[in-house]
Amino acid sequence: MRLSRREFMTLAGGSTVGAVIFTACGVPADELLVEAPLDVPEDLVKGIDSWFATMDDSGLGVIVRVMEGRAKKIAGNPDYPVNLGKHSVHADAALQALYHPDRVEGPMRRRAEGQPLTRISWDEADGLLRQWMADADGNLAIVTNPVRGGDARIASDVASAFNGRVMFFDPLEQGVLHRAIKTVFNQDRIPDFDIGNARTVLSFGADWLGTWLSPVRFGLKYGDFRGGDKRGFMIHAESRMSLTAAAADRWLTVNPGYEGDLAVSIANVIVSEGLVPATNIAAYSANIPEGELAKWAPSLVAERVGVPAERITEAARRFANDGPSIAFGGGSAGAQTNGVFNLTAIYALNILAGSVGAKGGIQFNPAGAQGLPDSATGASFEEWERELAQWRAGNVKTVITHAVDLVHGFPRSVDVGGALDNVENVVAFTGVLDESSAHANLILPENSYLENWGLDVPEPAPGYEVVGFRQPVVNAPLDTESRARLYDSRSFLDTLLQAAGSRVDVSSVKDFVDNTVDDLFATGRGSVTAGDRRLFMNGVLQRGGWWDVNAGANTEPPSSIPSPIAVAAGPGLSELEDRVEGHVFTIVPFAHQSILDGRNASTPWAQSTPDPITTVAWATWAEINFDKAKELGISEGTWINIRTTAGEITVQAYPHPGISPNVIAIPIGQGRGEGVGGRYAEDRGSNILNILVDKKESETGALAWAATRAIVTKAGGKKEFPKFEGDARDIIRPVEGGVPILIVKPGQTAHEAEEYNHEQHLRFISNKE
Amino acid sequence: MQQRRILDEFTINRELLRGNLNTPKWWLPTVLGLLVVVLFGFTLMGIMFNKGVGVTGLNRPVYWGLFITSFVFWVGISHAGIMISAILRLTQAEWRRPVTRAAELLTVFSLMTALFFPLIHAGRPWRIFYWITPFDFSRGIFPNPRSPLIWDPFAIGTYLTGSTLFLYVALLPDLGVLRDRTTGWKHSFYTVASLGWRGNPRQWRLQTVAGILLSALMLPIFVSVHSIVSWDFAVTPAVEGWHSTIFAPYFVIGAVHSGVSAVVTMMALMRWLWGWENYIRPEHFDALARLLIVVATGWLGFTFVELIFGVYSLEAPERALREMQMFTWPWNLLFLIFFLCAFAIPVPLWFFKRVRNNIAMMFWTSILVNIGMWLERFLIIVPGLARKQPFVFTWDSYTVSYLEWGLLLWSFAWVLMLMLLFSKFFPLIPLFETKESQLFTMDVKIGRANMPAVIRE
Amino acid sequence: MVTAAEKVSGHKWGMAVDVDRCTGCQACVMACQAENNTTLSTEDVYRQKRTFAWIRIERYWYGEFPDVKARFIPIMCQHCENAPCEPVCPVFATYHNTEGMNVQIYNRCVGTRYCGNGCPYNVRFFNYWEPVWPKSLRNQLNPDVTVRSRGIMEKCSFCVQRIRRGVREAARDGRELQDGDIEPACVEACPTNALVFGDYNDADSRVSVMRNDDRKYTLLDKLNTFPNVVYLAQVDATEGATGGHE
Ligand code: SF4
Ligand code: SF4
Ligand code: SF4
Ligand code: SF4
Repeated sequence: MRLSRREFMTLAGGSTVGAVIFTACGVPADELLVEAPLDVPEDLVKGIDSWFATMDDSGLGVIVRVMEGRAKKIAGNPDYPVNLGKHSVHADAALQALYHPDRVEGPMRRRAEGQPLTRISWDEADGLLRQWMADADGNLAIVTNPVRGGDARIASDVASAFNGRVMFFDPLEQGVLHRAIKTVFNQDRIPDFDIGNARTVLSFGADWLGTWLSPVRFGLKYGDFRGGDKRGFMIHAESRMSLTAAAADRWLTVNPGYEGDLAVSIANVIVSEGLVPATNIAAYSANIPEGELAKWAPSLVAERVGVPAERITEAARRFANDGPSIAFGGGSAGAQTNGVFNLTAIYALNILAGSVGAKGGIQFNPAGAQGLPDSATGASFEEWERELAQWRAGNVKTVITHAVDLVHGFPRSVDVGGALDNVENVVAFTGVLDESSAHANLILPENSYLENWGLDVPEPAPGYEVVGFRQPVVNAPLDTESRARLYDSRSFLDTLLQAAGSRVDVSSVKDFVDNTVDDLFATGRGSVTAGDRRLFMNGVLQRGGWWDVNAGANTEPPSSIPSPIAVAAGPGLSELEDRVEGHVFTIVPFAHQSILDGRNASTPWAQSTPDPITTVAWATWAEINFDKAKELGISEGTWINIRTTAGEITVQAYPHPGISPNVIAIPIGQGRGEGVGGRYAEDRGSNILNILVDKKESETGALAWAATRAIVTKAGGKKEFPKFEGDARDIIRPVEGGVPILIVKPGQTAHEAEEYNHEQHLRFISNKE
Repeated sequence: MQQRRILDEFTINRELLRGNLNTPKWWLPTVLGLLVVVLFGFTLMGIMFNKGVGVTGLNRPVYWGLFITSFVFWVGISHAGIMISAILRLTQAEWRRPVTRAAELLTVFSLMTALFFPLIHAGRPWRIFYWITPFDFSRGIFPNPRSPLIWDPFAIGTYLTGSTLFLYVALLPDLGVLRDRTTGWKHSFYTVASLGWRGNPRQWRLQTVAGILLSALMLPIFVSVHSIVSWDFAVTPAVEGWHSTIFAPYFVIGAVHSGVSAVVTMMALMRWLWGWENYIRPEHFDALARLLIVVATGWLGFTFVELIFGVYSLEAPERALREMQMFTWPWNLLFLIFFLCAFAIPVPLWFFKRVRNNIAMMFWTSILVNIGMWLERFLIIVPGLARKQPFVFTWDSYTVSYLEWGLLLWSFAWVLMLMLLFSKFFPLIPLFETKESQLFTMDVKIGRANMPAVIRE
Repeated sequence: MVTAAEKVSGHKWGMAVDVDRCTGCQACVMACQAENNTTLSTEDVYRQKRTFAWIRIERYWYGEFPDVKARFIPIMCQHCENAPCEPVCPVFATYHNTEGMNVQIYNRCVGTRYCGNGCPYNVRFFNYWEPVWPKSLRNQLNPDVTVRSRGIMEKCSFCVQRIRRGVREAARDGRELQDGDIEPACVEACPTNALVFGDYNDADSRVSVMRNDDRKYTLLDKLNTFPNVVYLAQVDATEGATGGHE
């Protein structure tokens, strides 16, 4: 074919234009696609990693990724029935507790009060411990965080070998909860809440999706509750916007202390409208005097409870009509002078709804396998007061503390430090020096749980027998250059057992674990089946525990309950009203999402994880209602004084719309002084626990830690928070709905919602013009 | 425009070589003063290299700030050279002659300064080689031709090369003069530098042709340099206020606005510092002011169109950005200053002949323009990033650190110092052009007719 | 859209986020930090507004007291099929791989931060300072993940090291990869299963199913970035209007 130059040019030009148009219309996603001829560093994975199953210090089953003896990552153990492979923000932080640069390196002794600590050898430390425990025969106190399972058994064995006692300490104690469970259900342990199968969840006070009891387990169930076509409806009553309140479909802004009234009022609606079968009503009202319930009609209680009557009625109808339903609560609802009333009234709702023992309701747990302790709670404040009086009087020769910081955790008015100073020998097992360390004569570096043996029984258990196994999964951390051990630490319980010598019949925790494995093997049932005992042990350690799904609880639910209203007749509520002048708020302390009650405060990961609601990190803040703050001239970052009859702290305010106007909510866990808590926690924030007033729950003597009233004044000045969110908080959002969170109505598709939002947005704009 | 004294060649040489053959009293102290600031600036850069970009006030989402603003600003200033030497030369505007060299010089130095900014702004500046060099270093990956950041160095590199050549070619005859008037090492230096300039017809022809060719070659750069700089922003669909199709011409005309204003500033300084009243005369300022009225008005038109495009769509994030840019403290103050400085104050003033012919007024108004134009770039770059997309959670603003301010100061000191150093060794006003222009304007009477003495090439 | 990438590789990785399940608990945030050797976001880093969080939880307020709600959404790199961060990178330090992911070659990055401007989701994080860990804390660093130096950009990699290991181990053991075999750290942690990871090329995988859900939407849809992370809308079961203005 002959082609003239002109034709050639025409063709060439035409096809070029065509090609340009053609390609320009496509999305050039793979144009100039480049693959690195060298692999990206992440493409090359090297070395062999092993994942070992163990048990973390909060009762979660975890697996730990180990390379060359060093722990690299902690994740949930997929086999472990409590958390099925999931974990919380708390789990990862353990790595940093293990490799913390400020971990105590070796045993240290303070020879006299006021003297500095000096390094001693373990031999000397062991000798001292042995001697001090023997000296204290009859008056030894072992203080630890609430532990269950083998840890609890060994600690109490050691204590009783010296005729002493174990005292559990929990700054936000849950004793009231255990009492209420006992009262309503006659249970010695916390039941499992079958949230995943419920259609209506009614909860009070407790931030069960954030920090309360077993948030990972609850989170898993919450996922099921939300998932699929059977999406449930959740009502949560709390005075502040916790994660749980944020997750709820309906948030009831109950006044602190009136959760019980709210629960009874809900019962009033159900009973008066006859929304549930008569047998349930009969069971519920068996012990309630005639006409008594009528006093809790929504219209009568709405004002003091802080929830509009129609919302109470709505909650009652949903709870009764849209089952399976479950009601539970705790946390700040129990931390009141009338805490037991509040919680019994809440749990009693399950009897009304017929959800005790039912699918989607309250499910009881069996006693711990092999008689292992299955439930733990801090000693009540009253018991502590008695104990501390003994210390102060010099009647206690030796106190051994482990995993608690008493000085940090008690109200300042209690003067734990003074009590400790009157104890001759104070032995503190610790990872990083804490506030109580200043009062100890002997500091013993404690292992991370990753270096220990142990046995745990989870609470709440998943409805059947479970024993969690802890095993050492890492080598002792070494200095990279000198290859010397970085921390000459030991297991708390092993050290105690060694000091106890022949007085206790197990010689080590491993011994105890072995014995339990023998027993479990002998039962011939459960999750691990093996031909011989050695294989059985391997199996148990590989899976991180032993459980028997068939070994459920055989406890019958009680046929009727003591009247919650009869409980209310006790003192309680009136004591809430302190006579203080000024802008009075109720202080609601709460556990920080990542540093919890302060036990993770030393780790930089936990410190740097932004609080979900305020996004503040590395600091203490006080949540206060937005409008109320405006009224008081307080804005974000303003320094405010919070004064109670027990003292005063200065913190920065974070106003937001999600909190009752009469409440000020402050996370606990910070507020350590100089040189305390390691480099990441020292000199940081303030500690609200210090200025709590020592009010007690009327039935149990527990500390009513959410019942303190305070006056809030401006302290002068303000400072920007170290926080994650940007600076556009106060700017009215000129942004179309659905960005970035698209919200649909049940049954509505995303597309429909987007169209709707867009229309609304156009309307909004044209109205504004 | 032709009324002026006719000077003899000797006077021209004497006056224009005033700065080269003897040193003015103020020269050394000024240069030393500037040197202190310059060294201080280099120390700041050293700190940045040593510690990292962390020492700036930049954050997430405001990843670009003062440095990129200043980069765009100095590239804008560099348009002085193109405008004066290429456009005016090709359009044969006679009055350009005394300022061509200074304008071209400003171009070269401001480009050199501009290049510093993206370099020190980069996280790992020592890796610049495979950023801008089309060489694969056995990785099999060339630089990414889709990224405007590749074309920036190409465009600016071409511009810098072209301008330097242009400057040099135009300098040759004057170097010859200097060679002939100096002794000792200076003589040797000028001998080498003048490349054997003899001033014979062939050399003059080559020199003239080279000048014209370079002017023509640099014309596309006039369009491309700031267009490409504008694409640094315009191809970023994520940032409100950046992804505008109008950006290329808008940036170009803005650059001319600031570049020509910078020439005005410089001319006033030259006239005052070296007493060149005979060469830089009010009619020059008058001409530039008229040019600026046109340029500034055109630029204002683009500014309005840009704003209207933004607001017309009624897109929420775009509106949020504009609200912040114009109505939120402290941006509203910056916006006001920007608008007053870049247009509202100078342009109405320039309508008055008295102002146009008043050197001091022209000096100050031209400075205002550049304050305004620096702010314009800042107001384009930062608010867009601070209010990027409708994820209000991530919106955050930016505080310029002292170090960044220090480096902005450095850039001015650096350019001034280089100019003054140059002025010590080379004539700032081209001798030969001045003489040539005298010839062109001289008439000879032939009969009753007035004929130009020289017929142009 | 079928890209050349998908044709080349057997996999196309993606994530699905059920906003309705997310409680804002931050477990994913910490897990990602721990897995990916992310620099510590110290208090100074916070104050400088340069906080690192390859996955972050954004919190938005809706309504007014007492009918107010805090809603959370996890946001990580969306691994856009048509990623605005990619074309602007002068050195190809960030590019698209054959498995539908946007990947970052730390070694090439010169730190222009241009990609950070380009990313509409603000999920790229720049190392303004040299990352430092106390010596003992370096023990916890993941050997599979580069420790970045200062001056470079980083972002969610879909835990590419876990993908590589998963693929390699499946090949070694001679088995087919199953849905759920590979879990990035954030997905592994998430207690409510709000995060799901998988292969879009496997029609039965959970992500494929979720991508066809009625509630599925993608972030900043109108920008045509075609993210490989899809979201399922939050459900509001109370009365009243959807979405709307705050
Ligand atoms: S989300 Fe941002 S960083 Fe990720 S691929 Fe898309 S544009 Fe790039
Ligand atoms: S910061 Fe790095 S990855 Fe981003 S555009 Fe610049 S060179 Fe590329
Ligand atoms: S996929 Fe991996 S890198 Fe990405 S956010 Fe999740 S954990 Fe982080
Ligand atoms: S872990 Fe899951 S539930 Fe928790 S914040 Fe992340 S995405 Fe949400």
